[in-house]
Amino acid sequence: MNSNGNSTSVLVIGAGVAGIEASLLLANSGRKVYLIEKASYFGGNVIKLEEVFPNMECATCMIAPKQQELLQNENIELLTLSQVESVQGSVGDFTVKVKKKARYVDMEACIGCNACFEPCPVEVDNEFEERLSKRKAIYIPCAGALPNVPFIDTENCLRFKGEDCQACQEACMFEAIDYTQQDEELELKVGAILVATGFKPFDLTKTSQYGYKKFDNVYSDVEVERICASNGPTEGNIVLRGGETPSSVAIIHCVGRGEKDYCSSVCCMSSIKIAHFLKHKLPEVKVTHFYSDLCIPGRAYQKFYEEVRESGVDFIRAAVKEVTEQGNGVSIKYRSEDGEENTLNVDMLILAPAIEPVSGSSELAQMLGIPQGIGGFFTEKEPDLDSSVNTLRDGVFVAGCAQGPKDIPDTVAQAEATVGKILSLSR
Amino acid sequence: MGKEFTPRIVGFLCNWCSYAGADLAGATKQKVPAPLSVIKVMCSGRVEPALIATAYLRGADGVLLAGCHPGDCHYREGNYYARRRFALLRNTMETLGLEPERLMLAWVSASEGQRFGEVTNQFTEQIRQMGPSPLRKALL
Amino acid sequence: MAKKIGVYLCECGNNIADNVDLDRVIEAVSPIHGVELVVKYRLLCSEDGKEFLRQSIQEHELTHLVVAACSPKQHEHTFMNVCEAAGLNPYLFQMANIREQCAWVTADKEEATEKALKLVRAAISRVAYQDPLEKKEMDVSPDVLVIGGGISGIKACQLLAAPNRKVYLVEKSSSLGGKVKGFEKLFTDMESGPALIEKETKSLLGSEGIEVLTDSEVEQILGFYGNFEAKIIKKPENEERNLSVGAVILAIGFDLLDTKEISQYGYGKLDDVYTSLEFEEMNIPGGTTGGKVLLKNGKPPQSVAIIHCVGREEKGYCSKVCCMYSLKFARMLKSQLPDVKVSQLYSDLCIPGKSYQKFYEDTKGLGVEFVRSEKSEVIQNGKGMTVKYKTKAGSDNALVADMVILVPAMEPSSDTNKFAEMLGVTTDDEGFLAKEHQMLAPVGSAVGGVFVVGCAQGPQNISESIVQSEAAAGKILSSLVPGRKLELEVKTSQISETFCSGCKMCISLCPYSAITFDEVKRISVVNEALCHGCGVCAAACPSGAASMKGFTSIQLYQELAELVK
Repeated sequence: MNSNGNSTSVLVIGAGVAGIEASLLLANSGRKVYLIEKASYFGGNVIKLEEVFPNMECATCMIAPKQQELLQNENIELLTLSQVESVQGSVGDFTVKVKKKARYVDMEACIGCNACFEPCPVEVDNEFEERLSKRKAIYIPCAGALPNVPFIDTENCLRFKGEDCQACQEACMFEAIDYTQQDEELELKVGAILVATGFKPFDLTKTSQYGYKKFDNVYSDVEVERICASNGPTEGNIVLRGGETPSSVAIIHCVGRGEKDYCSSVCCMSSIKIAHFLKHKLPEVKVTHFYSDLCIPGRAYQKFYEEVRESGVDFIRAAVKEVTEQGNGVSIKYRSEDGEENTLNVDMLILAPAIEPVSGSSELAQMLGIPQGIGGFFTEKEPDLDSSVNTLRDGVFVAGCAQGPKDIPDTVAQAEATVGKILSLSR
Repeated sequence: MGKEFTPRIVGFLCNWCSYAGADLAGATKQKVPAPLSVIKVMCSGRVEPALIATAYLRGADGVLLAGCHPGDCHYREGNYYARRRFALLRNTMETLGLEPERLMLAWVSASEGQRFGEVTNQFTEQIRQMGPSPLRKALL
Repeated sequence: MAKKIGVYLCECGNNIADNVDLDRVIEAVSPIHGVELVVKYRLLCSEDGKEFLRQSIQEHELTHLVVAACSPKQHEHTFMNVCEAAGLNPYLFQMANIREQCAWVTADKEEATEKALKLVRAAISRVAYQDPLEKKEMDVSPDVLVIGGGISGIKACQLLAAPNRKVYLVEKSSSLGGKVKGFEKLFTDMESGPALIEKETKSLLGSEGIEVLTDSEVEQILGFYGNFEAKIIKKPENEERNLSVGAVILAIGFDLLDTKEISQYGYGKLDDVYTSLEFEEMNIPGGTTGGKVLLKNGKPPQSVAIIHCVGREEKGYCSKVCCMYSLKFARMLKSQLPDVKVSQLYSDLCIPGKSYQKFYEDTKGLGVEFVRSEKSEVIQNGKGMTVKYKTKAGSDNALVADMVILVPAMEPSSDTNKFAEMLGVTTDDEGFLAKEHQMLAPVGSAVGGVFVVGCAQGPQNISESIVQSEAAAGKILSSLVPGRKLELEVKTSQISETFCSGCKMCISLCPYSAITFDEVKRISVVNEALCHGCGVCAAACPSGAASMKGFTSIQLYQELAELVK
């Protein structure tokens, strides 16, 4: 509380790179922060990446110290498996109802030894690994995910389907598994709210011409990120679903741009990064990009692009007309700039989809009373003339890809900017 | 044939990348060679050549220095200093009659638990084949 | 006082106990000199375990503590808190990682036990040489110096100025507003730049705690995070001002590439070839043409060619905002001269973000022509000009224009090197002021407490520049809180006055410029406010004068000796 009787606590929605950065800065200034995250782990989209462009820095090494700091900061209350239910009040005096789903594992008692996974008889696709590997019904999404406490997915757990299974409970030495845990409803009093819910990739199954989910060797870029990841399903080895190493790869940019009607800012660079990774792991692999306009804004990006191009990666400005199955790979029919039609056969096709707000954004927008604009991203107050982190509701801020597509540094800058705004509110 | 040679290997690991990678190797239950014992330092740039030399003088058969990948140093450039010292030290070792292969520099990131296992197993095997360090033999 | 080291072995349920024979470890380390007690416990990180540990430390009046358990990354923090609760300095504690790096990675129990034993011995040996360390705090000034009175600087000041925080805005020209006050229209809202500046300046001048120093140059800045001393000279009287501030924001903007350097566009030779800034100026109502777009002959143009990416190849980077403002130019032309023919000669359209595509489509809808081209060249053609270019497919083509607008690359402001040298801030390969960390510290710089925002760190649009200013404000508001001290890194480097030979080796190596030379004593001195504790200096010091707290040579040697036995 400050002298006006207003709450100085802050609610941060989404524990990705933006939410983490803002929470740490706010907490270090002395504010109480409630950081809520829908998933069972925190770190957002960044922890799915092996390396980040343009310096090819290891994403885990970069983000892990921040995550550690977050877990140890006494001013931050981290609530995983939690979602906003309702928001009442106004700046300085919001009342937020949060639904916290039961984890069925006691965060205090669990020591993260993973002994409970093995006896679990259920095996389902691991969504975190883009369904490229399996997980149990009690699981952590990937090695190294934080908090290092598993979660029971009640949709697949036999016990929650009515069967008499308690394999995980029997395996746990610490009595950490508690099937009777209930979902909780929390009421938080906060002075300001930061929306940092991030993005998801455009649903590629909405496009038909590229053969996604029809042909085995057509991948999304996020799938390939996990294939490249040393803690991922293939331990960083570039192999196709059938186990072969690809000798030729094509990357199609801007998938879904036509549908979304905006440029997603980061896909050119992340596609170039994937090419870099492929060439690094498989020097002989032939990589071809199909793009329309290369959007590589800023200083360090052009150099990265040139390096990758010089390593023997082709860039073809063309419109892809059709993808068909061809042997084990695919055949890509395209029309290049001079109007000529051509085809290219490759072993592996990677699609770089547009990025869009996470699902549930509309509900959140309604609860918060903030409008959504182009593409469903949250609308900022004065897009061009003022900070892009204010929303139309006083005391509610937005940072990162929830506001629009952007790269990591711009996301972090916005997160820090919201901190500037929030800390200057109550003087 | 006497008792099988068990090498003594010490690894200097930076806190941010390689030590985290070694922990991940543990969390994912990789096999890491038993003869390797780890000393945590904040940065690979903290490790002075004298410390490595002492390791051999005190009986180490191999020394591993592991830090963040180039460009990833938590302290901007500490790993570059480590790399330079490593290169100089390897040259010096030869003059001292110690095989340079007994010193290894590896970049291991926080997500490379599996790689940490591979790197350390390979190094341990190499040292095992080389046999006890000539310095250790001299000391005995 | 005799050392009383307590050694606590965590079974971690069965995680450690199953694979390490802890009783053997107890038996083996109990006789070690200085070891007061060795006990195992089922789970030390549990509430019971922590309470047991706290009581045990007090009961046995331990002077040092070793916990052999999981990785320090998991619970070092937990046990340090226990130490504090028990009244033991938390730096007299060492963890041995016998779970992640022993029990979990060693198949054979015998081997695992041997290894655990080594690790515990090493920790005991080391901890005896550890020193109690205290958290240090430093008095800081919450005040801020903002250099550059453009939109970035103004916006940073707005957030920072407060009754308990003084903010100085130093601008070398006579008025605030920077480049933006010369932009009649801003994309995408097509609002007025001068009006924006007027509004923001007014709001700034009305806030408490702000002092604007126009016609002023920064002469010198000394000091470090929390305590900078800046000398400002105010023209024309050359009045000197000395300011004490805790942080500095560099918002020094950008310059445009000199288009005379690139001869093929005829700039400076042909009458109606303009740079983008000259075109902006033409549109200002108070300008030389009264806000009218006119050729040198006083007539409005009938056809205008806008050439993108001028100097991109030479500079080697995309300037990020030029596509958008070229579209804006097309709109300004079309609104003033509806019949004018506008051609955009571009290579790749870079319009990132959610709202730009629509702006592009609307602009295209006005009948603006987009010509994908490269290697363009401007030549005189009678009274007008011809723009020759190559299509992307490689064939030669040309178009006629009576006005050509060049869109040059943005480059670092001419003041960049001055400030880089004054503050020790590094520049990147392109000459802009470099960020502290490419990804996670986008507005920090190589020097603690010095922030770089807006186009000073590279091409940026207005909204991004403002976000960066606010980000710097956020970082400052979070750390320099009025009435609060700045907490410093505990495990820093220290240099012994007695042993330092003054060779300055450490000074050149320190990644944070945290070491300076004391000219009087002829020795190197560590500034703990800047030291991040990497230990590079300790490893390099030829006389053993530099050491790193918590990782001193003797501590590492003690640890090492046990591991290679």
